[in-house]
Amino acid sequence: MIRYFAKRLGIMLVALFLIMLLTFCIMHAVPGGPFTSDRNMSEEVEAALNAKYHLDRPLPEQFFEYVSGVLRGDLGPSYKYPGKEVNDFVENGFPVSARLGFVTIVFVLLAAIPMGILAAVKNGKWQDMLLMAVATIGVTIPSFVIASVLIYVFSFKLNVLPTYGLDTWKGYILPVVALGGYSISYMARLMRSSLLEVMGQDYIRTARAKGLSEIKVILKHAMRNALIPVVTVLGPTIANLLTGSFVIEKIFAIPGLGGYFVTSVSQRDYTTIMGVTIFYASFLMAMILLVDVFYCLIDPRIKYE
Amino acid sequence: MKKKLLCVLLAVSLTGTMLMAGCGSKAQDEPQTIDDIEAAPEAPEAEEAGETKGTEEGALADTQEMVFVLNNEPDGIDPNVTNNSFATPFLSNCFEGLVTYDEKGEVVPGNAESWESNDDLTVFTFHLREGLKWSDGTDLTANDYVYSALRVLTPETTSQYVNMISDYVVNGQEFYDGTASAEDVGIKALDDNTLEFTLKAPCPYFIDLVSMWVYFPVQQATIEANGDKWTATAEAYVSNGPFKITEMNMGESMILEKNENYWNAENVTLEKLTFRYVLDTSTALTAYESGEVDGVRMVPSSDLARLKAENAGLVSTPNYGTVYYDINCSKAPFDNPLVRKALNLAIDREALINNVAQVDGQPAFSFLAPGYVVDGKDVTEGRSDFGLTATADVEGAKAALAEAGYPDGEGFPTVQLSFYSDDNVKKIAEAIAEMWEQNLGISVEVSSADWAVFYDAVQAGNYEVAAMGWSADYVNPMSFLPLLYTDDVTNNSFYSNPDYDAVVDQIKVEKDPAKFAELVQQADEIVSADYPVLGLYYKSNTYLIKDYIEGVYMVSSSNIYFQNAKVLAH
Repeated sequence: MIRYFAKRLGIMLVALFLIMLLTFCIMHAVPGGPFTSDRNMSEEVEAALNAKYHLDRPLPEQFFEYVSGVLRGDLGPSYKYPGKEVNDFVENGFPVSARLGFVTIVFVLLAAIPMGILAAVKNGKWQDMLLMAVATIGVTIPSFVIASVLIYVFSFKLNVLPTYGLDTWKGYILPVVALGGYSISYMARLMRSSLLEVMGQDYIRTARAKGLSEIKVILKHAMRNALIPVVTVLGPTIANLLTGSFVIEKIFAIPGLGGYFVTSVSQRDYTTIMGVTIFYASFLMAMILLVDVFYCLIDPRIKYE
Repeated sequence: MKKKLLCVLLAVSLTGTMLMAGCGSKAQDEPQTIDDIEAAPEAPEAEEAGETKGTEEGALADTQEMVFVLNNEPDGIDPNVTNNSFATPFLSNCFEGLVTYDEKGEVVPGNAESWESNDDLTVFTFHLREGLKWSDGTDLTANDYVYSALRVLTPETTSQYVNMISDYVVNGQEFYDGTASAEDVGIKALDDNTLEFTLKAPCPYFIDLVSMWVYFPVQQATIEANGDKWTATAEAYVSNGPFKITEMNMGESMILEKNENYWNAENVTLEKLTFRYVLDTSTALTAYESGEVDGVRMVPSSDLARLKAENAGLVSTPNYGTVYYDINCSKAPFDNPLVRKALNLAIDREALINNVAQVDGQPAFSFLAPGYVVDGKDVTEGRSDFGLTATADVEGAKAALAEAGYPDGEGFPTVQLSFYSDDNVKKIAEAIAEMWEQNLGISVEVSSADWAVFYDAVQAGNYEVAAMGWSADYVNPMSFLPLLYTDDVTNNSFYSNPDYDAVVDQIKVEKDPAKFAELVQQADEIVSADYPVLGLYYKSNTYLIKDYIEGVYMVSSSNIYFQNAKVLAH
């Protein structure tokens, strides 16, 4: 088992290196650079900037310089924001995104799992219909639409919740709902279908035949198996939510990490592109690994060799 | 009646939540906001009253604090380095140069209390105020100005506006290239309070140049201690303006507080100014309308008309720039002023501005934007409209075209209308083509290319009519006039008129501001009566500010100033 996870770790590192290489190549293949702007910059100023950040050196040299920096934990200086380090962006932005993401995950789990169970138990009844109708809407409507409607109703019309920021606990409500809307709907549907499938199996019939109460049958016997698909999607979902959403963070003016994923690319801020990509990739891989560990805990039948 | 009831209900529910939430200072804003939104359309008098009440009548609020939303984060706030316009709110409030701008947009003494130049406008001497201090309490002298300018002229600084100094100051470029020493550069501190610039050539607009932030002083001590990280923490960011930064929250907000060491601190009323980043303009607008913030830098263009009608506090100020089309004056039939006049008369600028582009701008009849003020008066004030109107003059256009020899557009070659790839530019180009086809009976072919390709063609003269725009780096008509000067590199219209050139030559050496203004208007009259370009609109800046905040002003360089801001009781 230890050997298995050591191997996984090795594969992760190789994958990370390939991701870095690929991102680096694609990024430099895109036309434009960090110092292209709408104002004409004199050539000598651009040359001075390129020299300052070693952008005048051959690409392989730049890449290896960067990788050796990353190995020392240094993601390099931002080209677009002089005097700032990409590490600063991650250190300042990640805690904010992670805080919001964590609240969202708790909210998602607390809402989605009971919703899924209820829908499965009341399979075909009006409760099921209603919940699945809501879930379908939640999956299909994009988060920015949900966010705009929420702001309009709760901040503008009713004026009971702040429009932007996470300055008070109230600030969390709207972004959490907007951010979690999709995941709740998706997971509730997953929970329902997975539970329904498990409920049809023989061992459940056995449990019922033993005379166990329906609640006990579901929570003790059916749930553990039904949770496996949910846990599978939970890994990437956690990684996504904790590292921030560009759209939601922009709409609610939350100073998280999400914005850098998009702005760094449009600004061609090379080190920031690399930094957030590496950060997100390693985080995602760690989460997937964690999910695999989790499988063993939920289902003793799963073993890694 | 129904509306009123709604009002009351909203107000009640608001007060309820306020009590529950218990958020102190903001509580008073909210009912006022509801008033603004609901009552403003019916009560334009309220707005007028607000304007005339002045300082005596409006009692000051107990807390002089405000939150102003910025919709873009600047790439840097080092005045020597950046040329990013998003940095202006910080640079124009935390720093002050030798000269600054008053609320009329006129250059006024800043750190320098007076200045003079020699007769041929090549040596400028500035006299600094006595006892100037940095925000950390240390003395600020003429030597700090010399240090800053030399820092700009050092390649490692990577100053983006370096040419605003190196193009003008003696040995500036040579110092940058490493062929001259610091002593040779034409910037000298004669004593602690006297600063002298020696220029390569006469420059009547040098005072306007030194108002640019690249000429602002920065403190040597903090830069030597912190390197280029001196702008990264509030403690290291030493400045010399009405405010200083006391808190930096990356990506979230910057908090500015009154700088007690500012020479004019006694006249600064605002104690605390929070710049909050809200990148999404709709969110910012909602926050403004629900009273969470006191002002917003940018307004979604789709809401402009509504906000104007509601008197919601929309402020529109000219931005020193013009959006226009170049007409190739060296190419037949466009070498005929009557043809250019017809093209000018046939477009409906108001429709282009309000319906097509949906921008806040003033119809342009000339290439020279308003925004340069002499003696409290804009130099373009009272100029001719050159026979043009905001809407199309179809009859006039047809008559001009007929006079040029193309009655009803007969025999007129197909016009090539080129533009660069951009959604808004495309919309305008297509609308213009349609207006010409409809109003003049001529045919138009529209084509587009990427900016680089497009601009190369325009510069080479391979075009007939091309989309263009000009935003000045420094506020002086001299940043516009070369655009039509014979053989100037920026003269993409290939227009040439010796009379105009002669007046511009005179302007270049004119010292007397009144005479200068007169000559500028004369030059504009000569050139615009020839219709060398197709003016569309003069750019504007729009921002939102609540009516209980007084004294905030923006000038045509887009600098926004809070030094006179006062929060009135509300």
